[in-house]
Order: sequence, then structure tokens, then C-alpha cells
Amino acid sequence: MSVIKIKNITKTYTETEVPVHAVNGVDLEIEKGEFTAIVGPSGSGKTTLLNMIGGLEKPTSGNITINDTEIENLSSSDLIDFRLRNIGFVFQAYNLIPVLTAKENVEFIMSLQNIDKAEINKRTISLLESVGLGNRVNSKPTQLSGGQQQRVAVARALASKPQFVLADEPTANLDSVSTSQLLEIMEELNKKENMTFIFSTHDQRVVDKAHRIITIEDGKIISDVRK
Amino acid sequence: MMLLKIAWRNVWRSKLRSSVVILAIASGLIGGLASTAWMNGMADQRIESTFAIETAHIQLHNKTFNENFEITKTIDSTNYVLNEVRKIKGVKSATSRISIQAMASTASNNTGVTLIGVDKEMEKEVSMVYSKIDSVSGNYLETKSRVIPTIVVSKALAKELKLKLKSKIILTFQNYNGDLNGSPFKVVGIYKTDNSKWDKRFVFAKQSDLRRLASVPKDETHEIAILVDNYNEAKKISEIIQNKFPQIKSEDWAVIQPYTEMMTSYMGIMMYVFMSIILAALGFGIVNTMLMVILERTRELGMLMAIGMSGKRIFIMIMLETVFLSLVGAIVGEILSYTLIEYLGVAGIDLSSMAQGIESVGFSVVSYPKLDLYSYVEITIMVFITSVIASIYPAYKAVKLNPTEAIRSI
Repeated sequence: MSVIKIKNITKTYTETEVPVHAVNGVDLEIEKGEFTAIVGPSGSGKTTLLNMIGGLEKPTSGNITINDTEIENLSSSDLIDFRLRNIGFVFQAYNLIPVLTAKENVEFIMSLQNIDKAEINKRTISLLESVGLGNRVNSKPTQLSGGQQQRVAVARALASKPQFVLADEPTANLDSVSTSQLLEIMEELNKKENMTFIFSTHDQRVVDKAHRIITIEDGKIISDVRK
Repeated sequence: MMLLKIAWRNVWRSKLRSSVVILAIASGLIGGLASTAWMNGMADQRIESTFAIETAHIQLHNKTFNENFEITKTIDSTNYVLNEVRKIKGVKSATSRISIQAMASTASNNTGVTLIGVDKEMEKEVSMVYSKIDSVSGNYLETKSRVIPTIVVSKALAKELKLKLKSKIILTFQNYNGDLNGSPFKVVGIYKTDNSKWDKRFVFAKQSDLRRLASVPKDETHEIAILVDNYNEAKKISEIIQNKFPQIKSEDWAVIQPYTEMMTSYMGIMMYVFMSIILAALGFGIVNTMLMVILERTRELGMLMAIGMSGKRIFIMIMLETVFLSLVGAIVGEILSYTLIEYLGVAGIDLSSMAQGIESVGFSVVSYPKLDLYSYVEITIMVFITSVIASIYPAYKAVKLNPTEAIRSI
């Protein structure tokens, strides 16, 4: 079953003197439970593609359907709500809320969904334990290592029970030990909960773990390999 | 709840910057509140002095007395009127006075004065002039003199006419029959109020002496002065008296002393003007600080939008941060202002170096700042409104951020 259906999308930036075709006629389908890496050189269009899948940028043409919803037709406020309920985000720079503890960072996303407090608490503890941070729930981001912060970010991404998680270069700032730990956790979540992960990455270690590798160059998919 | 928590903690993310803003707000409020309290204190002392010394709350006269202060324009049946007035609810005390325009002369100088004939004991219930005579300056018509009538003059007049205690002064005035009278008086008391101009004009003698010397008929006087329990009720009570005695002119303090009425309104307006200027300046400071905050947190705000925080929630969060920051500043400022005002309210602000100028316009040299609780509440509300207004533009800027560009920002 396809979670994401992309039909002939393009993204052209016209703010520059010469228009830049960041994504140029991409067709793609992502199935439920896939562990997919989008790879390619810098400037190839992977982050733009990820942003469009995540509803952060609108395509210039073509359409993106997520679970039967054509997201390019949603208004800004509907799109924010759609992201909240359907998409988990993991960023390269972790981007946790610095004034909140690990637990509060995870709780925050659920509080936006107006989930019951007891349910929030239960789910937060469970998520932080699943990423190996059950003993650091009250630590602020500045008290955590980069790897630990990224694991909190993964727990936060999963907190809203999304359809899939988009991870933009999630291991770029991590050492090899942290990268391995993070990948193991995500792989485990993928297997256990059938969670769909889509990464944009340069990291060979991520590529090695991925079940599907999509290579993009000059805004076009040049290969799509399932292991 | 989570938004409140984030907003409150965000206020303390940059402790130095927040402290500077809080101190700026606090300093502004201290300046505004302390100067308002000072003006209030001065005005209140002036008003109290006006009521207690100069005008009382209500004055009754013959309808045409105030045109030329003629000695024959009296209130008939004074005692009856006095008794009836005292029965009116809200009236605290009342006294009758004979008032004669006279020329005061000594060997060295002469000047025009208003000679007030008082019933000593009744007068003490209405006017505080008796309390303005210190122990070395005699007494309030207590000294008995069988030979010549006694008189109380002010320090300012004593200086002008070179008078001392026990000095004699000649007062020349027209009596009730139209004849000119010249009578010596013996100075038994020298008073000093905060209003040197008023002091120079009024001298006090026993009503019985003046009645005799000026041939004022029995039971007739020129003025009935009334104190009421609450000066804000004076107008209403004056109207009741006017209706009861249509042949007499009843005027409340706001009519007798429009300057005092103006001052009370003026002080209220001044407080708003002062605080509005201060809060407007603070408002711009707050806008500037919050724009800086948004610039610094662009990436974080972008992330919040990306993960699903709505524009409305971002707007509320920025607004809450601004309001928290401002209210902390307001509370710090109000606590410090309260401490300062309470201290100065007891210790007073002494402007003796400018005594001549200040007293010539009727103000006390030592003033005691005061501010009522209502004003503090009002200021807190004003700060709240200012911070809400000041937060609108920064919050709008935050909402208008593009999440993808914001996340990429450094």
C-alpha cells in the first residue's frame, strides 16, 4: 500500500537570475513500512524533494498524495495540521526546543494534538525508553550529547503517531557510535512498528542500512534500487 | 499550559537581555510613579490645606456679598441657618464668620486685609488656622485683654508690617452704619500656612469684638463655612442647602476655588500623560527586543512550524513572552516604586531652597508623595496593554516566517 504517491513534480526557483530546476519531473511511490534513503550530491534536489513530501514547500507543478490527500491543495493552516498529524520530522541539527527537557520536547508535539495528559505521559516515557533515553527524561538538550539529542528528536517525530518520518541528513552531525545507535533504533522501530522512514543522506552507513536507495541528480531520479 | 511554560522559560533564555529590559521597564515605572506620587502628594496637601485653612468645603453668603464684600450684605438668622445646616446628613461641622475689608496700619507700613471675626471654638471645628501657630508664636485668641481687642496675624504680614507678639496694629474699616472706624488690636498670635499670599490677606479677631466695633446686628454674619464628611459630596450637599435656603448663596469648594478643582483633574490627567509617554517609549524598546529575539530564534521558529505548530500558537507564544517580560518589569518597578514612595511619604521631599517660590503659589515646602493602590493596579493594566500592543508586530513577523528558509538560517 502506497503511503506517498508523487506524480511528475517539479520545483523551479525563479528568485535567481537564471531559474533553477531543483526537482525536475519526479515520479515516486513509497510503500508503508519502507526504509528509504534518498542519496545524491549536494544540490541534487534531495532536500527540496523531502521538503515537498513534508509539505514545507509547494511543488511548481505535479502533485503529491499522502494517504489519499493531495497536499498541494491544502491551505497553509490545513497543511500545518496535516504535518502535525501525519508526518514526523528529524532534522540534521536536532532542533529540539532548548528550554524544554527531553520529556517535554516529546510531550510538546502531543500537546499540540490536544491528547489526554495521562496518555501523553505514558507514550512519552515509552518512546524515550525505546530510543534508550529512559534515564535522561529530565535532561535539557544542552545536557545531552548530539546522538542523544537526535534520539530525542526521533522520539518526538514518532510522538504524533505519523504515517512516516522524514529525516534530513540525520547523522550528519553525529560520530560513528551515535550514528550506529541511531540507525539501530530507527531500524528497530521500522521492524517492530512498521514505521516508514525516508532519509536524505550522504552517509554511507545510512545507505548500507536502507532497504531502498533512490539516487537523485540534477533534480531527477537516476536510479531506484530495492535491496 | 505547555505554551505558557515555553513562553515563561524563553523569557529567561537570555538572562542578561531580559534583565536589561526588565530594568528599563522598572526604571521607567519608578520615574513615572514616583513623579506622579510626588505631584499627587503636593496636590493633596494643597487641597487639604485649601479645605482646612482657606475655603472649607462649602461657604454660604448673602447673594450679593461677593460682589463688593459690603459689610451690610449679611446672612440673617445665622444661628437658625447654622442649626439647620448641621442637621443635614454628611455635614461634619459649621461655623459663622464676620468678614470685613480693612486697612491694617502700623508705624512702619500699611496694607489691605480681610478681617475675619470668628467664634473661636466653633471655628476650630472647621478651620485649622489655630494649629498653624507654633508654641513661641502666641495663641489663637486665647489671651484675654480687657483694654483692646486681640488679633491673630500671619508671619508674612507681621514681617511686612514689622509686627511682633503684643504689638499693636490699627485696623480701619467701614462699619455697618457706613461710618469709618479705626480700632487698635493687640497681636496675640502669629500663624503661618503653606500659602504665603493667603497669609498676607487674612487676620482673625473675636466675632464678639468685631460685632461690637463694626456694629453688626445680632444674629447676622457674612459667611457660614461648612466641612462635610467626604469632600466629593460637597456639591450635592451644597445643592441641598441652596434648595433649603434660596435667599442665601451656597457654593461648594469647586466653585469657590476652581483652581483646586482644576488641579485635582489635572493631576489625574498628568498621570496618564506621564505614564503614556513612558509606556510608549518602553513599548518601542519591547518591540525592538522581541524583534531581536525572533531574529535569533528564526531556525527554532521554523522548526516549530515544520513539526506542526500553528501560526496562531506561535503568535500566542510570542505574545505571552512579551507580556511575561513586561509584567515582570512592571512588578519589579512597582515594588521598588512602592518602597520609594512609602519612604518618601514619611520622610518627605524638602524643597526649602525654593521655599519662597513654592509657598507663593500655595504649596508646602515639604511634600509627601502618595499613590493609592488603584493607581498601581491601573499602571499594571496599562503595562499589560502596552506589552500586548508591542508584541503584535514581532509576533506577526514570527508567523510570517517561511519554515524551510527559517530552518536553514544560522
